[in-house]
Amino acid sequence: MSKKILVVDDEEVIRKFLGIQLAKLGYEVKEAVDGEQAMEQLRKDAFDLLICDIAMPKKDGWEVIKEVKSDPKMKEMPVIVLTAKNEDSDMFKGYDEGANYYMTKPFTKDQLLYGLKMMFGEN
Amino acid sequence: MKKDPNRKKVILLLRWTAIIVTSYLIFFSKGRVTDLHLSHLLIFGYIFSNLLLTFLPKTWFSNPKFFFFLVLIDTGIVSFGLYLSEKMATDFFIVFFLIIIFASMGRNFKLLMVIGGLTAFIYGALLYSWGLLISAESSSYVLRIPFIFIMTAFYGYIVQTLTQEKHQELTISEDKYRGLFENANEGIIILRNPRGQIADVNREVERASGYAKEELLQNEFLDLFAPEEIEKTRDYLKEVAEKGGARADYLSLKKKDGTFMEVDLSIKRIDLGDESFYQVIIRDLTNQRKLEKRIRESKRNLEAIFDGIGDQLSLQAPNYEILRVNKAVIKNCQRTYQELIGKKCYEAYYQRSLPCERCPVSVTIETKQPASSIMKLPEINGALQIFSYPILDEKENLNSVIEYVKDITEEQRLQEQLIQSEKLAGIGILASGITHEINNPLTGIIGMAEVALEEEDVSKNKDYLGDILNCAQRIGEIVKGLKSYSRAAKREDLSPVNLNEVLEESLKMVQLAIKKDTVEVIKNFQPIGKIRANAGEIQQVFINLITNAFQAMDGKGGKLVLSTRSLRDLVEVKVIDEGMGIPQKCINQIFDPFFTTKKPGEGTGLGLNIVYRIITKYEGTITVESKENMGTTFTIQFPKRREGS
Repeated sequence: MSKKILVVDDEEVIRKFLGIQLAKLGYEVKEAVDGEQAMEQLRKDAFDLLICDIAMPKKDGWEVIKEVKSDPKMKEMPVIVLTAKNEDSDMFKGYDEGANYYMTKPFTKDQLLYGLKMMFGEN
Repeated sequence: MKKDPNRKKVILLLRWTAIIVTSYLIFFSKGRVTDLHLSHLLIFGYIFSNLLLTFLPKTWFSNPKFFFFLVLIDTGIVSFGLYLSEKMATDFFIVFFLIIIFASMGRNFKLLMVIGGLTAFIYGALLYSWGLLISAESSSYVLRIPFIFIMTAFYGYIVQTLTQEKHQELTISEDKYRGLFENANEGIIILRNPRGQIADVNREVERASGYAKEELLQNEFLDLFAPEEIEKTRDYLKEVAEKGGARADYLSLKKKDGTFMEVDLSIKRIDLGDESFYQVIIRDLTNQRKLEKRIRESKRNLEAIFDGIGDQLSLQAPNYEILRVNKAVIKNCQRTYQELIGKKCYEAYYQRSLPCERCPVSVTIETKQPASSIMKLPEINGALQIFSYPILDEKENLNSVIEYVKDITEEQRLQEQLIQSEKLAGIGILASGITHEINNPLTGIIGMAEVALEEEDVSKNKDYLGDILNCAQRIGEIVKGLKSYSRAAKREDLSPVNLNEVLEESLKMVQLAIKKDTVEVIKNFQPIGKIRANAGEIQQVFINLITNAFQAMDGKGGKLVLSTRSLRDLVEVKVIDEGMGIPQKCINQIFDPFFTTKKPGEGTGLGLNIVYRIITKYEGTITVESKENMGTTFTIQFPKRREGS
C-alpha cells in the first residue's frame, strides 16, 4: 500500500508540482490550501507524511505543527517544513516545534528526494 | 529750638503795665489831652488787643513775624498816646526814642536794666534841677521816670528774646555743620596752607588712616603720603596753591599700620573773611578698586567666552550695524576686526545691499523676541543655522541683538547620511519580506520546470510553461514595486509630490513585505494637491508608519485606516491602526533616535526619528495619539504649497 502524503501550501503552483512529482514517485497525495483545511484532513484521515508551508492565511504552519505534535494519534507522523524564510532562526524554530525536516524555498527535486529519503529511509 | 514757655505771660504783663502807664499819662496830664474820644478809643483798643492776645496760642508768641508785628503796634499805640498828651510832646518823644535806641542796642538784659535805671535817674535829676518835679504839673513829670524804666524793660525784653533766639539758632546750625563734617562718608581734612600743618580732620580720616586726630594735627599734610609719591604729591599741592584747588587721582595714603590706601583727592580753597582754608576731600578707593577689578575680570571672562566660542557670534545694533564680533567671525570672513565694525552685517558678511531673506535678526528687531532659522545662502556653499537674541534696556527697548551663527553644513550632511542609512536598514527589513514573496513563485518555476523537463508528453508542457510564465510575471511585478522604493534611496531634488499617490505606493510596498490577511485596509483619500518635497523621503515616512501600523496589529488583526484631507492652509495625512498602542510612559520618547521597544534586529530605533526629521524638514508637524490595546493615530500636517512656488 502506497504511503499517503498531505501537502499544505497556499501557493497553487507549488501544490501542483509537488503533487505531480510525489505521484510519479508512487505516493498518494492530498492537498490543503491553508492550516485549517490541513487540520480537517489530518483529523479525517491518517497520513504518513506532512509537507507544510509556514506563512499561510487563517492558520499558519507553526500552529499546524503544534497541534499535530500535541495529538497522540498524529505525533509520530513525520513533518517536512517548507518555508520561504531562509533565516537560521526560523530553521531552529522549525526543529524546536517538532519538524523532522526543513526545506527552504526555492528547492529542487533532488532536495525533495533527499528529504523523503530522510523521512522514509531507504525506500 | 528752645522756646521760653513764659514768654506769653511776660509779654501780657509788660503790656498791661504799659497800658496802665499810657492811660495814666493820658488821663492824669491835667486836661491837656487834645481829643478825649480818640484817647478813649486808643486805651480801649490797647486793652482790647491785650485781652485778645490772652486767647492766642502760646506758639504765636514764638513766631518772629508776629512778634515784630506786636512790637510795631505797641510802639504805634504808645507813640500815639504820647502825642495825645500834647504838652509832653516836645521832650517826651525824644525820651521815648532814646529808650528804643537803648533797647535795640542792648545785648544783655541786666545791663539794659542798669542803663534804663540810670537814664531814669538822670532824667529825674534833670527834671529836679529844672524844678519841674515840684511844680503844679509835677505828678505828670514824675510819671515819666517809671515810664522810662518800664518801656526800657519792655523793649529790652523783646530785643533780648530775639537776640537769644538768633544765638540759639546759630549754635544749633554750627552743631549741625560740625555733625556734617564729622560724620561725612568721605574723609575731610582742613588745612590753612596746602604745604602746612593739618588744622582739622573728621572721623572718617581717623578711621581710614588709623591715626588719632591728635596725632594727625601734629603732622604736615605732605607726611601723609607714600614716600615714592612725594614728588607727584608735591606737584599736585603746588597746583592747588596756584589755582586755589585741584583734583588728583590714585594717590597712596600712608596708614598708621604701614600699609597704603589708594585715594582720590579734591582740594579747594575756601575764603572766610580774611582767612583762607583748604578743604581736602579724600575718597577711599579701596572698595572701588576691588569693584573695578571684579568688573575687569568679569569683562575679561565674558570676552574670553565670547571669543572662545567656535561658532560665529556678533553683536548688532537694531539697524544691523555690527558692534562687536568674535574671533570665529573674523576667521570666517577673513577680514580684520576694524573692517567689520560699523558695517551692516549683510554688507560685511555677504556683500549684499539689503538684509537677507528670512533673517532672524530682522524678526528680533521687529518683535524683540529670540528667533532662529536655517539659511542656505548661495554665497556660501552650505547651510547655516542662525539664532538671534534681543538685548533690552531697562525700559524694555531693544538695545542690540546677538546673532549666533552655527555652520550646520556638516550636520545636515550627516543627517542626510543617517536618513540614507536608515533607508538601507529599511530595505533590509523589506528585503526579508520580499524574499518570501519572490521565493514562492521561484519555487513554482523551478518545480514546474523540473516537471516539464521530465515530461515525455510534450502536449502537457504547455500547461506547465503557463504556470512558469505566471510565476515569472509575479516576480516581475514585485521587482517593479521594489524599483519605486529604490528611488527613495536616491537623493533627488525637490519636486511636486502627490501625497495620495505616494501613500498608495507605500502601502503596496509594505503589503509586499508583510503579508497580513488579518488586517483590513481602509483608504479614505481626498484630493489634496501636491506639496514640494523629495518624493523618496515622503515615501520613507509613509513606509515607516504603515510598517509600524502592521507590526502593531501583528497577531491581533484590525483595521488600518489611511486618510488624507485638505484643511485651510494645510494638508493632512492620518495613519490609524487598531494595534497594541504605545504605552503612555514611552509616548514622549518615540521620536527620539535609537528609542525602540522592538527586539534587537527588528528595528533600529531610527524609524520614527527619521520620520520626524523628514517632516520637520518640510515644515510639517507630526502628532501621535495612542491608547494601549486600542490603537494609535499618527497625524501629519504639511503647509500647502504656495501658489507659484
